[in-house]
Order: sequence, then C-alpha cells, then structure tokens
Amino acid sequence: MDNKLIKIYHGPQHPGITGNMSVELDLLGETIKRARTHVGYLHRGFEKLIERRTVIQAFTIVCRLCVPEPDPNEENFARAVEGLVGLEISDRAKYIRVMVQEMSRIAAQMLWMGGQSGSIGMGTVGQWSLYDRDLILDLFEELTGGRVYHMYTYPGGVRRDLPDGFLGRLSELLDYFDKKLPKYDSIFFDNATFKQRAMGVGVICKDEALQNGYVGQALRGCGIKRDVRRDNPYLVYDKLEFEIPTYDGCDVYSRAMVRRAEIKESIKILRQVIEQMPAEGLIMQKIPKHRKFKLPKDDIYVASESARGEFGYYMAGDGSEKIRRMQVKGPSLIHGYTLLENLLVDEELSNVALIMNSLGICPPEIER
Amino acid sequence: MNFNTIDIKGIVAPFSAIGKVFEHPKTVCYPDQTKVVSEGYRGFHTNVLADCIGCANCQEICMNDAIDMVSIDEDRNDRNKSGCIPRIDYGRCCWCNLCVDVCPPDSLKLGIECIQADADSNNFLYYPKDK
Repeated sequence: MDNKLIKIYHGPQHPGITGNMSVELDLLGETIKRARTHVGYLHRGFEKLIERRTVIQAFTIVCRLCVPEPDPNEENFARAVEGLVGLEISDRAKYIRVMVQEMSRIAAQMLWMGGQSGSIGMGTVGQWSLYDRDLILDLFEELTGGRVYHMYTYPGGVRRDLPDGFLGRLSELLDYFDKKLPKYDSIFFDNATFKQRAMGVGVICKDEALQNGYVGQALRGCGIKRDVRRDNPYLVYDKLEFEIPTYDGCDVYSRAMVRRAEIKESIKILRQVIEQMPAEGLIMQKIPKHRKFKLPKDDIYVASESARGEFGYYMAGDGSEKIRRMQVKGPSLIHGYTLLENLLVDEELSNVALIMNSLGICPPEIER
Repeated sequence: MNFNTIDIKGIVAPFSAIGKVFEHPKTVCYPDQTKVVSEGYRGFHTNVLADCIGCANCQEICMNDAIDMVSIDEDRNDRNKSGCIPRIDYGRCCWCNLCVDVCPPDSLKLGIECIQADADSNNFLYYPKDK
C-alpha cells in the first residue's frame, strides 16, 4: 500500500485553477509523481469562427481570447490587418494604443496578484488588488464604453477619442498606484509567508526556458532579458524609456518580483505617454466599408508583449473580405502543457495552484 | 534556531493591513446604492424612430444575428421605405457597437441603461425606442 499512487483531478472546478482546465495528478502521499494537463472544457473555436467572418466582424471576437487582458489581442489583430492592407496610423492613435496596452498590463497584474495570493490563502491581497483593478476598469469604461471587453483598438486606429480630462484622471490613478505599491510590498511581496512558500518552488531550468520557447515572466524570472517591446518595438515603444526587469531565482518568487517590477515600469511608461501624447491627430484612418474591406493575398505575423509574455498572431488573406487563416500563439499553450507538467513533478500537492498561477496560464487561449 | 536569519520585517509588515479597518468601506449597498456608469457606456440600444430609415445595415453587420428587422405601423417616418425597425435579441448581443457605427442616419445608439431582469425570456427581444 505504501507505494500505491493515487490519481486525482485538480480542476476544472477548483478555486486554485486558473480557469477551466484540469491537471491530472498521480500522487504518492502528498508528492506529485506525474502531472498531465487536460483542456477541452472551454473550447470556443475562435480561429475557425474568425475565418467565417469579415475583417470588421472578426475584430469583435478577438478580445474574448483572454479575459484578464483582452487588449493585446485587439492590438495584434489591428496591427496584423494594418500590416496586410498597408495602413499607417497617426502618432496620437499610437500613443493611445500604448496607453491602453499599459493600463491593461497593470490591470492584468492586479488580477494575477489576487490569484497568486489566493493560491496560498491570502485573501486580503486579492480584495485589495481586485479593487485597484476596478479603478483601472473604471477608466476603461470611460474611454471605451466597456469594462472588460473593450473592443476599442480597431484596424486603422482607435474607435473613440479620449474623454475630456482623461489624462488627468489617469495621472491621479498612477499617483495612487505609486502610493499603493509599497503597501502591496508589506502585505504580499515582502511577506515572510509568501517568501517561505514561493522561494525555491517551481524552479525552471534556464537552458530549458530558452530551448522550449517559454516567454514572459517564466523567462525573465530566469534572468533572461527578453521583451517584444524592446526586441522588436511596435507602436511608439522605441521612443519610451523603460527597463526590462529580470530576477535570477528561476522560482515562483522571482516571477512574482518580475511582475511587481513590471507594474512599476508600466506606470513609468504611462507617465511618459501622458507627457508626450500629441494633442492633435487623426484617431482613426479612413477604412473601407464592411463588405469592401478586403485583405490582399498575403500573410503576416505580428507580436506584442502581453502581461504574461509574447502574444503573436499569424494572419493570412486571400483577396476576399474574409480572413483566410488566423492563428494565435500565446504563452498559455507551452506553459500549460510542457512547463506545468514538468514543474509539478516531485512538488507538493499544495503547490499546484501556486506554480500554475505564477506561469500566467489562460485556458481560453489554449483552446482558441 | 538562528535568529539572524528570521525575516522580522516580513513577519511584522503584513500586520499593517489592520489599518484598513479604520478606512471607509469601498463597497456600495446594492440595490439601495448603485454605481453611476460613465457617459459613454455601452448599454442597451436606443433608436430615434423619426430618423430610422429601416435600411437593415445594422442587421447585416451583426455577426451574432442579434438583430431582426420587424415591420411597424405606427411611429414610422416617411423616409423609412421598408417599414421596418431593428429588434435586438439581448440573449445574443455582445454590445460591440458595430451596428451603431454603420447606422447611416445615426439613429441607433447605445444608451447607458444596462440592467434588465425579467422572468419572461421574450422580454429580452427589445425594440429600441426614442430616448
């Protein structure tokens, strides 16, 4: 009986799972001997759905690929279409898009903080961070008309101009975040309990991280400085000053600290955007009407840096108003299968949620 | 036990959260108090029937098939040759605003009302009227 393995399913209905997926665990006592990821609980077939819609119609579906941060999807989709049809957007629209990306990044990190702290039983941090995320969503509501699915970044620019006094309110919110971050340090990042639980857990091998194509915090938490915004700048990121934070621990704690530093960098970027944004400029280029918006017979790959790592879209047109093929490359597939299955072996059962949250896995994006 | 390695700051600092007890609550008591939505919020549709020309552009662009054009007898203006106005199925609508973007006379808009509760599912088939 001592060596008998017990099989349990961690998810899909489990508070410690990041969305609708499950991990099949073979346990020897409390120790995991084998882990297998199972998805299929959330299949919505986005890529196929998009092929059946016109360019304009498809734009409204891409944000639903990832609930915590829909904006990198919209950005990628818009940039792919613009690349294919040769649309150049104004500087003002570019700055607004960068602002949306960075606001989305902070909101996503706040949501992550709630999940990561909840995975080890720290409810208070989640209450604080979700409230703070809501403050960003309030601004999104004002800007785009929607709180979660913004449907704002559009091929050719953005759909609405900034409301009166918006940048001032954003600036006030950034001041609030500047004051709030040390409080998060006190209750979460410097918390002895979190350090005890997260240090030395879920250690990723640095060479493996590069070979297997891990992205985002999984890579930067291993001390590898890689970020699409710096390596392959898009929009106006090449005009902005920011650091790519890295930590060398390769564990859950390092990945958490990278995220914390990224919030700080996003605030820095947003302040520069507020200063540098041109007061005038077309927010939306003239684009053909619904049925006349045709993509040329060509293909393109665009990538942007989401809060969880590189997010790429491959798009091919065939001369019609529909998209011939669209494929999404997100961080979740490689992190949810290869990385998670490897990291869980010989870990304790109580660390499953902790490790999973640190990797930024989003099941809808696996099952696109 | 080596006391030099004990993370005193890490043990004591989280207790700073107790200070929150003395702050004013951030939550509102729904439904007595409700959150005021922004001016540009994407809520339920409104349609100025005096302007609607019944062109069905909104129906054509809607990828969720949430819009039907239904014929009306009253409130119809002279320019509305088809005699139809849009009816929105809020079981299917995703509030993408594309129907509003393509409305030639700008009669269709999204208002800020966003709460609909009813036991009858047919009441989610909604005829936007003048606001």
